[in-house]
Parts: sequence; C-alpha cells; structure tokens
Amino acid sequence: MKPAPFDYHRPDSLDEAAALLAELGDGAKVLAGGQSLIPMLALRLACFDHLVDISRIDALRGVERRDGTLWVGATTTESAIGADPAVAAAVPLLARATPLIGHAQIRNRGTFGGSVAHADPAAEYPAVVLALDAELAACSAAGGQRVIPAAQFFTGLWSTALEPEELLVGARFPVWSGRCGFAIEEFARRSGDFAIAGAAVAVELDDGEDRVRRCAIALLGMGPTPVRAAGAEAAVTGRPLAELEPADVGATAVAGLADVPSDLHGPQSYRRRVGAVMTARAFAAATAEAAARPASAGAGNEAATSG
Amino acid sequence: MTETEPAPSAAAASPASAPTGARYAGRRVRRLEDARLLTGRGMFVDDVRRPGMLHACFVRSPFARARINSIDVCAALASPGVRAVFTAADLNPDVRESWYTQDGPKVPDSPRPPLADGEARFAGDPVAMVVATDRYLAEDAAELVEVDYEPLDAVVDFREALASPVQVHASRPGNIAGRLTGTPPDAVEAACAGAAHVAEETFRQQMHTPSPMETRGIVAEWDGRELTIWSSTQNPHEVRAFTARLLGIPPERVRVIMRDTGGAFGLKVVPGREEQCVLLAARKVAGPLKWIEDRRENLLCHQARHESGRARIAFAADGTILAASIDHLQDMGAYPTPWQVGPGAAVGMLFPGPYRVPVATWTSTSVHSNTAGRVPYRGPWQFESLAREVLLDIAARDLGIDPVELRRRNLLSRDDLPWTNPNGMPYDHASPRETFEAALAALGYDAFRAEQRAARAHGRYLGVGTSSYLEPTTSGQPYYGSEEATVRVDPSGRVTVFFTGGSSGNSLETTVAQLAADALGIEFDLVEPVQGDTAVTPAGAGTGGSRSGSMTAGAVGEAARALLARLTALAAHRFGVGEDEIEVADGRAVVRGRPGVGATFGELAAYAAAAPPGLPEHLAGVLEASGRHTTPAPMLWANATHVCVVEVDVATGAVTILRHIVGEDVGPMINPDVVEGQIAGGTVQGIGGALLERQAYDADGNPLVTTLLDYLIPTAAEVPLIEYVHLETPAPGPGGYKGVGEGGAIGAPPAVVNAVVDALSPFGVKITELPVTPAAIVELLAAAGYQGGHH
Repeated sequence: MKPAPFDYHRPDSLDEAAALLAELGDGAKVLAGGQSLIPMLALRLACFDHLVDISRIDALRGVERRDGTLWVGATTTESAIGADPAVAAAVPLLARATPLIGHAQIRNRGTFGGSVAHADPAAEYPAVVLALDAELAACSAAGGQRVIPAAQFFTGLWSTALEPEELLVGARFPVWSGRCGFAIEEFARRSGDFAIAGAAVAVELDDGEDRVRRCAIALLGMGPTPVRAAGAEAAVTGRPLAELEPADVGATAVAGLADVPSDLHGPQSYRRRVGAVMTARAFAAATAEAAARPASAGAGNEAATSG
Repeated sequence: MTETEPAPSAAAASPASAPTGARYAGRRVRRLEDARLLTGRGMFVDDVRRPGMLHACFVRSPFARARINSIDVCAALASPGVRAVFTAADLNPDVRESWYTQDGPKVPDSPRPPLADGEARFAGDPVAMVVATDRYLAEDAAELVEVDYEPLDAVVDFREALASPVQVHASRPGNIAGRLTGTPPDAVEAACAGAAHVAEETFRQQMHTPSPMETRGIVAEWDGRELTIWSSTQNPHEVRAFTARLLGIPPERVRVIMRDTGGAFGLKVVPGREEQCVLLAARKVAGPLKWIEDRRENLLCHQARHESGRARIAFAADGTILAASIDHLQDMGAYPTPWQVGPGAAVGMLFPGPYRVPVATWTSTSVHSNTAGRVPYRGPWQFESLAREVLLDIAARDLGIDPVELRRRNLLSRDDLPWTNPNGMPYDHASPRETFEAALAALGYDAFRAEQRAARAHGRYLGVGTSSYLEPTTSGQPYYGSEEATVRVDPSGRVTVFFTGGSSGNSLETTVAQLAADALGIEFDLVEPVQGDTAVTPAGAGTGGSRSGSMTAGAVGEAARALLARLTALAAHRFGVGEDEIEVADGRAVVRGRPGVGATFGELAAYAAAAPPGLPEHLAGVLEASGRHTTPAPMLWANATHVCVVEVDVATGAVTILRHIVGEDVGPMINPDVVEGQIAGGTVQGIGGALLERQAYDADGNPLVTTLLDYLIPTAAEVPLIEYVHLETPAPGPGGYKGVGEGGAIGAPPAVVNAVVDALSPFGVKITELPVTPAAIVELLAAAGYQGGHH
C-alpha cells in the first residue's frame, strides 16, 4: 500500500497551477486534502506521474458573500465550512451536510473542491451542489475562467465536466430566502461511512396556504452520480403541504431511477427503499422547518437562522 | 512517580477480589503500559529501524486457483533499489521443520509452503518476495514480476467443498482437513423421538478477518551466527522455537524481541507463511529484513469464524432440555495456521453450554477452500454459543415460554457444580444461573418488557436478547499448562520480574507488577516487569487461550516464594540467627522481636553480591529466584451472560444498540480495569461480528473486501458504554483467577441477534445467518409480510 512514484508540485498561485496543469496534461492530478486521492494512490488503484498540490494557494480558500450568493473556495476545508456561521446562515444545507462527511480528522483535511471534483456519488457536497443549482467555477491556462452549472457538472462515476487541464476554483451558491426549510438525511452502516443512500432537500413555501413554492431534491448513493429527483420536485410544487405525504414523495423520488447500485451492503431494491425513506424523512423535516417560519414577506430564512 | 491509587490497608481493598494481605491485586491500578502508549512512545515492530535494513513485499496471486507456469523476475531485479527476488524454488527447499509447538510434529497438519509452489490456492497467495532498500521500491518492483498463471476452477464456498471436483490440496481428498465426532448419536436420537418439541436450525456465520490495529510484522537480522528477530507476536518464545526448527539452527542462536504488540486476537499465536519467508531469506540478504503486513494483506490473507452448523435441542413440554446436538462444518481456507481442525471439537463439546443437558453429541468437519487461511480468533469455538443461544430463543417462542424463563428452567447453578456435561466437559467453580440473574437484574427485565410494550404503541421496536456461556480458560494441556518467572532484587532495592509475556494489549506488565508487589510485600513502583525478550525471559506459551492472567500469577507466585526463602536465608546468615527467626515484611527482613535488626531487600542483595566469607555459595551472587507454575486443573471455567437491548428501525433495518450488559464470573479480578477492558474489547468485536464485519468472495474467488472502507469494524459511535456485573467464584488455581481474554467475543453475537429478533417479534422473523445487516433485516421483514416503512 505504497503509491507508485510521482513528481510533486506545489504552485503558489492560481496562474502557476493552471500553467502546470496545461503543461503536464492528463499525467497530472490535482491534490487538495488528499482524503480520497492518497488512499487510491496507496492502493495503486490510481497512478499519476505528477501531483499538483493546490493547498497553498490562498486565493482558493475561504467563504464569502458575493452579490447575494455564497462563494465557497475550492480548498476551504470541510471543517471550516462546518464551523462558519456565514455558511449556516446563507446555505444551511451545506452546513448541515458537513458533519455527515467522514470523521472530524477527515473534515480537517478534506476540502470542498476535493469532494465536489472527486464526485463520489454517495458524497454529501456533490448532492448539495446539485440540489441548490450551484455554479461551479473552473479555470485553465488556455480558457481562463468558466462557469459550469451543477446540472452539467457530474457526468459519471467519479467523473465531471472538468477538463484534465482545468482546476475547480470554487462554487457560487444561491441563497434561498423566504419560508424555507432544508434537510439532509442519509443512511450509512456506521457513523462516517459513505451513505448507502441519502437525500438533500430544500423547500420554500408560499406565505398563504403553505403551498410548496419550490422544492429541490438531490439523491446521493442512488446512481453513478448524485441525481435530482425532478419528478418528485414537480409533483410537490404548487401543492399545499397538507396534501403531501412524505412517503409518497420518497417513493416518487426513487421511481424510475435507472442505475441504482447493488453491493455487499445490499441489493438494488434495498438501496431504492432506503433512498425513498431518506427522501421522505428529509422532505418531512425540511417542510416542517419551513412551515414553522412566520408567513411574512421579507422575513428571510437567513435572518431566521442567523438570529 | 506513583502511577497507582494510594494503596490502602487490606481491609479497605475490594473484599472479594483481594486475596488476604493483597494491597494491589483486586484494585484498579493504573496501567504501566499507558504512559508510553498514549504518548506515542510504544515500540511496535514497524518502529524498529536497523542500519542497512531492507524491506520485503510479496507478489500475490490474483486468482483463487491457478497453475504457476513460470515466474520471470528479471525486470524486477533490475528495478531501482532491488536486492533480491525470491520464489518458491529459492526459499521452500530451505525449510527444515515447520511444525508448531502447541500441535507437535505429528499432528495431521495441512501443507503450508512459505511461497506458493506450482499452484496458487487463493487470491492473495504469496508467489514471490521482493527485497529492496525501501518498501516503496519493493512495491514498484513487485509490479514487474511476471507470473504466467493458468487459471483453474476453484472451490470458493466451503459448503460445496465436500462435493467439489476441485481439490485444494492433492493430499486432502474431498477437501477434508479433518473430521471429529462425539459419542454415537443413538441416545440423542432416542431423546428427540420422545421429546415434546425438537428445535432444529441450520446456522451460518460469515467469514471474519482478525484485524488488529497493528498488523503482523517482523524484522529478522542475521549476523552470520545469531538471528535476532523483532516480532509482532503473542508468543515470543514460540517464534524462537519455530524459527530454530525452521532454519535448523540452535534455539540459543535465535533471539526474539517483542515490546508492544498492537492487538493480536489469535492471529499472532504462531508465525505465518510470510514470516517464514522473511526468516528463510534473512540469511540470504545483506542486511536486516523487515516485512510489515499492510491492511490489504491483512484483509486478504486471514479468515476466521466461517462456519455453519445444524443444531438441535430437544425439550420436554415444560421446557426441560432433554438432548442437544450439533453437526458443525468449518472453513479452513487454503492454508489454515496453525492446525485448525482440533478447535472444531470444542464447538461440539461445548454446545450444551451452561445448561443441565442430559445427553448430547456432535460432529465437526473441517474443509479446505480456495480462500484465505483460517487462523485462531478470540474464542475460536464461539459458534457453539451462537447456535445454542439463538436456537434457545427460537425454541422458547415455539414453546410459548419466555426465553428468560426457558433458560431459568435449565441453567446450572453454582451449587450444581461440579457437573460433567454429556460431551465430557468437567464444569466446575462457575456460577451460570447466578450470573444470569445478576445480569438481568442490572437490566430490570420486567421493567424493560413494559418499556418495550409502550414503545411499540408508538411504532418503535425495542428488543432484548440474552446469551450465556461457559468457557474453558487456562488450558492444562502440556504446552500451555506450565509457566515460569524469574524475580531479581538489585542492590538498589528494585525488583525486576522476568516473565514470558506476549502481551498484546492485555496489560501483562501491570498485572505482573501488581502480583509481584503483593507476593513480596513491596511497593508497586519498585517492580520492573520485563517481558518478551527471549534472551532474558523464561520460556512459556505466551498470550492465548485466556491463560496469561492465571498462569503468570502462578509463575510469579512461585518465583516470589523462592525469592522470599532466599531472602530469609540471607538475612539469617547476615544476622547470625536461625531462618525461623526471620520475618519478611514491607521490603525488609528483620529478626523477630528485634525490630531494629534487619535489612532491606536491597541491602540483602548487596550483601549477597559482596559474597562475604562464610556465606554459603548457593546464597552468594545475584539475588534472584525462579519459579514454575504447572496448573493441576485441565481448565478453569469462566462464565458470563450478555444482555443486549436494541432498537430496530423497520424502515431501514438499522439496529441501534441501546444497552449491553455483561455479567461475568472470571473469578477474583487482579485489576478490574483490565478485566473490563478485555470484556469491552471482546464484546465490541462480537457486536461487529453480529452486525457489521464480513469478508466475502465473489463466485470466482475474488475477495470483495480489501479495505477498511468495506470491512466494517464497529467504532465508538456504534456501541454503547458496556455495563459490567462482576461475580467472583474462585477457581482452583493461583489467586482463584480465571481467564477473561476471549469471553466477550463469544457472548456478544447471540445476545445481539436475540435482541433484534425480539424487537421484531411482532413480525415473527427468525435469524439464522450472520451478519444481521440492515438489508437482511428488511428482507426478513418483507418475507414475513411487512412491506411498509416509508415513514
């Protein structure tokens, strides 16, 4: 369990990193927190001639409000995200997903961008990114910066829309306001394990009749990528809460999923069932939170959370 | 610095645990090992760095079974830093003898070649060993070894091995490693024929992997005459004896050093095949040679607990047990280490458990498969408890008797003993019924049933399960039944105790210091325990079979007795009085009635070392004495009852353990912290086995679990605080002590299974297969007609 030889590069700036990636091509891999990459190298499941360590590039680290959105830099550690009141206020789903990632030691090293770019289908941050339609910022030496919508980012098992010479810079999250509720539920064999299945849910209710104004549901562990439960979202949007049974929402969410995995932890049917249960629980929790908020225009979720 | 609580007078010590006059035994003395271990100063094999040290890594078969047509090592040899590449042709012919002391040379053991020779027999079988200047370079070169494999059909599932056309070893027709049987089944058949009810089930237990935090490891350094070995072992003297036989060199020229062993659980009782390779290669390479098993190798190369069995218990209408039998089948894998057939007999012989069973019989069949080799694992016979205790709960439901009540009607009490079970096991000095009641009282059984009913009304499914067993500890078999220690007093007054050791987390250093301090009447802090270096410690069988507490206590006691006699004789000579006028107490020998006339142990050591004229020769020189304890008992019986309370989420199948109570009787406790640590560790292992841990292969024999991402060992988040209830029935051995190392791992699994089944009793599910995964629970519920769960 020792990695094959590689050359190690540690650029100090984004430009330098992009130049290195352009020069080294697909023989290079970006190293951030290393929580997935290093074990894969040690097991020789992956092999790269060059590692480009981006952990010392200051511009990639940190969380800040930008024009009504929340910007999360790629090398911001998971523990920093989990501890940041700005994250909890602006994007509660991101904050609530964080404690479900591995263990404290992993979160101290693991980064936001690493998790998203690694794109494990059972990971939490990719599901949150997808649920909230975050915009992912990438850069390369040749193409400069470009923005990739979350819906186009996750292309397959551990694969993304990033080009080999491209670097994930960070993500811009929309901030939901109004009568909103957020929940992430997942089921793992042990605390800190990758989930068998899970769901991240965001809902907004209208002021009057507790109708669902908008709803976003992303499932994790239910296919080669995180997936949006578009059918379930459509089925609940515009309907009054009182008419909605969370169990039905869960069942709708997993209906028609094509590539539900099967492994030692359980067959496809089991994962499908757990996905439905997690969706139902997350939907129930998110709607309960939203419904508990006062129905007055402008009393944003943000204010409620940070107050 | 004093590491202990203040030693009070004997009267204030825990009354049951402390032998008369004991100041340390029976107390929660803080562990001597902790300071170095908790501050990162432990010395494990991988911490050993020797000048010019080389590193080994193995090329392993990717196939479950394959003919090895050729091996080309040229490219690997040319790789940077590589010093040697060995194949079977290089190492195997050097083997002189490769039997283990515990089994002897005549046992019908199966082949165990250091490197696969001509045929690979499991995915992971070592085919070549690369030696390089560091492990990275060795692994780089290992990828360059070209092995021409011709894949062959494999027998992967041991339950199909008997009928398989594939033979794992040509010398084992039908893949039978061994078959052992109890008495003819006639009496059991007659009892079953006349019984009001016969419960019968076939139980299946998954393959486990013993996964100590420190994997196996060895450093071997040959200086042309002597071989020095650093080993991660439970038994340094066996490493020495085995090595001497393997290489055909005198044991006096083999020195084995162990300091800290980071867990073993049976895996490290004897050296395995990779260690043989390192030992054989040590004389062929120009430098000390290190091999550290990595986690993937650990998960690839060992198996335990992979068993199945048809169990039967016959009952009278009132629940009285009339007969019990088990037909047991166990997986040996390709290369079991050491001989693993014998332990199967214990499953059969112990199947009646702590119950008044009048007639019984058993069979145990051990079969080879093209999978990792079976190794000993904490409570190797625990399948008897699993099968019996789960079957008792099934029977109780069928009989309409509460499972606790069914056990009450059959459990043996302290007063029933001695009692020889129908398979010849001579139970004695134990308290099954009393322990059972004490553990249930800790729970509050009736109150729990009320809580359970209330919870169900709210859609929550709680359950309780119990499991009781009797466990033979401290074997009296020749190799294991004897232990030696040496005690030396230096002129400084400090007392060094040399003992076999093999401590793999079981706190032998602390234990020895407690026992020696008590036996000699000195302060705990004056004792220096020394274990594990065969150059200075007496030979013994190490940690295994839940023996080290009792056997070490015996050895230290005998050595201390001899030392006290010598101190007395020295003092008598020093003060010119008769030996009967000398009294020894508090680290001094004084003349009776003349308190001012006496000498400390240190002064007497200096006196002996100075050897003044007239001092008899046998008293002069180093002040030390040795003693050997040989246990007269065939075994010492420990017993326990585990009580587990769980909640099951019927939507996901998730099991949450709410409480786990262990009532046990391991005799008087030398150190309750150590006892509870042993119980907790074993119990958590057992919980892991019941719910989480599973090694598995696909149909072609490819291992599916190669990292700890998939081999699910319970963490602190998955287990509750273990609760303890201590009963202390003394055994007929030193201090009345019994063994405690293995019981937790035996008792926990059936208690967990029974609790889950009890939680799901409204649905009427039955569990006969481990592990009890969430998916399995959901499947059982579906089979029982329950499809709900979307809430």
